[in-house]
Amino acid sequence: MESKGIHVVVDPSKCVGCNICELWCSYEHEGVFSRSLSRISVITYERLGFDYPVVCQQCEPAPCVELCPTGALSKGKLGEVNLDKGKCIGCRVCSEVCPYGAARMEPREARYPLICDLCGGEPMCVARCPTNALSLSKVTNVKVKPRNAAEAFAISELRKLADEWGVDVDEA
Amino acid sequence: MTRLKGYGGKVLRVDLTHRTYRAEELDPSLAKAFIGGRGLNAYRLYWEVPPGVDPLGPENKLMIATGPLVGFPHGLGSRLNVTSRSPLTGLLGDSNAGTHFSEEMKFAGYDQIIIEGRSERPVYLYITESGVEFMDAEGLWGFTVSQTHEAIRHELGDQRVQVGAVGPAAENLVKFAGVFFNVYRAAGRTGMGTVLASKNVKAIAVRGDGYIEAENVDELIKVIDEMLRRIYENPQYWPRRIMGTSRVLMAGQRLGFLPGRHFQDPVVDYAYDVSGERLAREYNVKVRACSAGCALPCARFFMIKRGPLAGLMGEGPEYEPLGGFTVRVGNRDLDRALKIILKVADYGMDAITTSEVIAWLMELRQRGEITDEEAGVKLEWGNPDTIEELVDMIAYRRGIGKVLAEGVKRASEMLNRGKDIAFHVKGLEMIQADPRALKGYGLGFAVASRGADHLRSEPFVEVEDDPELGKKMFGEPEAAMRLGVKGKGKLINYFEDLNAIVDSFESCKNTAENMLILDFDMAARAYTAITGIHVTESEMREAGMRIVNIERAYLVREGVRRSHDRLPKRFLEEPLRSGPAKGHVIELDVMLDEYYDVRGWTRDGVPRRSTLLRLGLKEVAMDLEARGIKLED
Repeated sequence: MESKGIHVVVDPSKCVGCNICELWCSYEHEGVFSRSLSRISVITYERLGFDYPVVCQQCEPAPCVELCPTGALSKGKLGEVNLDKGKCIGCRVCSEVCPYGAARMEPREARYPLICDLCGGEPMCVARCPTNALSLSKVTNVKVKPRNAAEAFAISELRKLADEWGVDVDEA
Repeated sequence: MTRLKGYGGKVLRVDLTHRTYRAEELDPSLAKAFIGGRGLNAYRLYWEVPPGVDPLGPENKLMIATGPLVGFPHGLGSRLNVTSRSPLTGLLGDSNAGTHFSEEMKFAGYDQIIIEGRSERPVYLYITESGVEFMDAEGLWGFTVSQTHEAIRHELGDQRVQVGAVGPAAENLVKFAGVFFNVYRAAGRTGMGTVLASKNVKAIAVRGDGYIEAENVDELIKVIDEMLRRIYENPQYWPRRIMGTSRVLMAGQRLGFLPGRHFQDPVVDYAYDVSGERLAREYNVKVRACSAGCALPCARFFMIKRGPLAGLMGEGPEYEPLGGFTVRVGNRDLDRALKIILKVADYGMDAITTSEVIAWLMELRQRGEITDEEAGVKLEWGNPDTIEELVDMIAYRRGIGKVLAEGVKRASEMLNRGKDIAFHVKGLEMIQADPRALKGYGLGFAVASRGADHLRSEPFVEVEDDPELGKKMFGEPEAAMRLGVKGKGKLINYFEDLNAIVDSFESCKNTAENMLILDFDMAARAYTAITGIHVTESEMREAGMRIVNIERAYLVREGVRRSHDRLPKRFLEEPLRSGPAKGHVIELDVMLDEYYDVRGWTRDGVPRRSTLLRLGLKEVAMDLEARGIKLED
């Protein structure tokens, strides 16, 4: 097992769609309460009873950081993505390449992206989630060796769940 | 005028006739006097919708308003009020829903949306910070509530757009159609959807990228944390989170206030089979929050897992539809009840009124005053096929549905039958609770400003049956005893004032009121922290009284007096036949006298001039007198 840093882990079965994470996130980063200024955003489909908070997964390597043309985005020591607003030219590349759609542009003037910076290691969204749908986890990597087709199938299914816990499952 | 902190700051007026709109500044003094939401709407209704206006005519207006707490992560949920002159009662129409719509409209900058006139063609309104777009809704006409939601979000290409829509029932001018938000959340009562449809508006969609601030955010966070602590420490936290309001069904069985077979059986032998407890064990798959900022999510998502209806899923049900389509109509089949409840919501009808008109028709049949041939369906208690067919007939105004679609008061007048068992007050049908076993609630039904409704007062403390609590809160032991009579006037006064505040903050009653999280003191502290306008506890209570009084003034202007504050005869004269409250009737007149005295109204139910003046409603007093209504001092 190797640790690559921490990220916010989502348990969609516990998320109730109350948007409290979004409101605290925007307060923590922008000093005001707003859904659109949040770095985490809850996707809801009522007819499925479905709520899912989308937030930066601290990819390694991160396409947003790799492709940022001005070097405004960089990786910090927690694995978080940091933004240097002075260098950002609002080109939207990060927003377009993010595989999770977790890097929205600031909606009013679209001058910079809203990317989770893990609040310095104690994310407000995790602290304020009323149902523990959000938690903080180390990104770890586990190697397993399936011995037959049934095990391989079970592991591939489990991988989706493990991914939500922040665990990469590789077949050896 | 500077924008008041914590408010959107603007009032949006939409003129459908001329397809124009304008955003006015919200007057801060008005925001202080009437807080927001229900209070603000009541103020507009009084001053902008005079007597004699046809509820379904273009002169009627429909208001949607949100409150000062909405948009903050406070833990109490975010709601909105829809207010208009009611086509069902002809009086004050007002309905409240928990929905993300309220938060979105605030982030778009609007505290209140006022819809005026009538559009020539079907439209839906798309409201954002930059204004209103009148979108073509010709193709949406006839769609159900969920279809409308999906079509609009698809057309606008944005899943975050919040939609309030009406279903086919409203289009067919069923008098008790609601406005439905987030697919399942209903502003169901008093026919607000009918008003919207009469204006040729199929839906309102809103999206807001703005933000709100608090004047003293550190103090606000302190208040929020204290409210959250109270929520989490409350022993009701888990039962409510697991069952929501559906748990009331078993409570009704225990206390004997169920509306079994149209208020003939206060207890039934199949309560568990149709209870929230059974739903939690066998049906619920997930808990959801109906709205933003909720720390006690109680909207359950369910799925039927076996049997012929396996795979049917949806949100809810709350106690009112659950009780309405099971015990009230004598139906033991929970699966079928769930299907019917979803159908009623998708047609966009008020579940309480729908269950009353069906139960009323069944009791008429039981008394032999109508035949199956005349009704066009086989009328027997608890037959799910009959119930479902009647729901279809009402929504599309087919056969006897044409009569039932008028609500129980007018239906009994049209057939000239069963007037004594038409269970309504001021034209609004009674909820799923028998006032003979809950006397404070009964008084609440009689005096509620929108008709037979518990949410104006919700005096839950009387269910505690705790004489010490009654003595402590109101100086009368009986005030907190459900079969007591003395002190109920004080009880209802207190909780009506409190609920006016909770409704105007647009918070959730399950937490804010039922757990006493947002009491007058907490509300005053929250308001002060948000706006920077210093408000004391007693000023907050006064604001509650002001809202109750302006609503009463509206009713008085329409001719409502003590003689309208009545309960149906069965509750006054026929003793309960079984259950823990067996033998009880409700002693309404004694309680009414006390209620009016504490309110500062005459014994005829008219606010005294001194009461109105004390609450800063001088113009209202002058208006009433100018219309020939004599006010006593």
